[in-house]
Amino acid sequence: MHIPDAFIPLSQGAVYWIVALIFIALSLRWAKKEMSEEKIPLVAVLAAGIFAIQAFNLPVAMGTSGHLVGGALAAIILGSPFAAVFILTLVLVIQGILFGDGGITTMGANIVNMGVIGGFVGYYTFHGLTIATKNQNASLFIAAWLACVVSALACAIEMYLAGTFPLVPGLVAMGLYHAAIGVIEGGITVFAVNLIATARPDIIVLPRAVSA
Amino acid sequence: MERNTFILLGIAIAICIGVLAVFLASGDPDGLESTALVVQGDKTLTGATPENAEIKEDLTGKFSYEAPFPDYTMGDALGKPGELIVMVIGVILAFVAVFGASKLVTQARKKEA
Repeated sequence: MHIPDAFIPLSQGAVYWIVALIFIALSLRWAKKEMSEEKIPLVAVLAAGIFAIQAFNLPVAMGTSGHLVGGALAAIILGSPFAAVFILTLVLVIQGILFGDGGITTMGANIVNMGVIGGFVGYYTFHGLTIATKNQNASLFIAAWLACVVSALACAIEMYLAGTFPLVPGLVAMGLYHAAIGVIEGGITVFAVNLIATARPDIIVLPRAVSA
Repeated sequence: MERNTFILLGIAIAICIGVLAVFLASGDPDGLESTALVVQGDKTLTGATPENAEIKEDLTGKFSYEAPFPDYTMGDALGKPGELIVMVIGVILAFVAVFGASKLVTQARKKEA
């Protein structure tokens, strides 16, 4: 879902950068207020894991592959959608500048899609579903799946506004492929949250109804 | 689990995932690339991706940038060993960047207090 430079005109890329910068500023305010010394290793290890797993494309049929995005995972584990913005921004900067994975002028759009939309949709869906169903793993899976799909649909709309994709075929293809890729997102999110909750239950932030 | 053990184990797992990615990652296009191929008529929605399918990128009036390690490689000459080195660098860099940024933020808070 990393948008390359060629897919969005400079003027539109600038608009997404402005939106991204607003959320980056808010994420820094969150980090300044909420980040404890104990949480720093978890945040950094999460970033390293998200970087590695984003490079691991798994086949999802239909001649397509996909990988974990990680916005929902970061937001749920750290208890704030701004945590996803904080982590994904730094990961996307490294990927874009060093590895050409995602563009420079489109980095704002990538931060908005994967960090902001992924983080907010994942976090609030998880909390809403947890309250409604009291089922942690099902809530995690659905929240991460939905975060992946909604981010992809937002990306399809951005591609339409950029004149890169027609609207309906873009929405259909992005929605279909990421509905399949979202299964990977959901599965890895369930596994990772349970793994970290077992290893460091003291630093993970989960709703009270499902905390161990 | 103790803090240092957690960090070392976390980085080790991330490096293992990165190493596996070098050898096992799918060569099929991702969701965005597949969609681009579909809308330009080089792929059907649910069919396999043709081997020679290529995304047409129009860079007219757009920014162009050549990354030092494009597509997580060090060029064709270094092959898989180069990809492994790049992946390890990336994992460690992601850890250091986020650890450093987090430290800076918490230190700024302490100074203000």
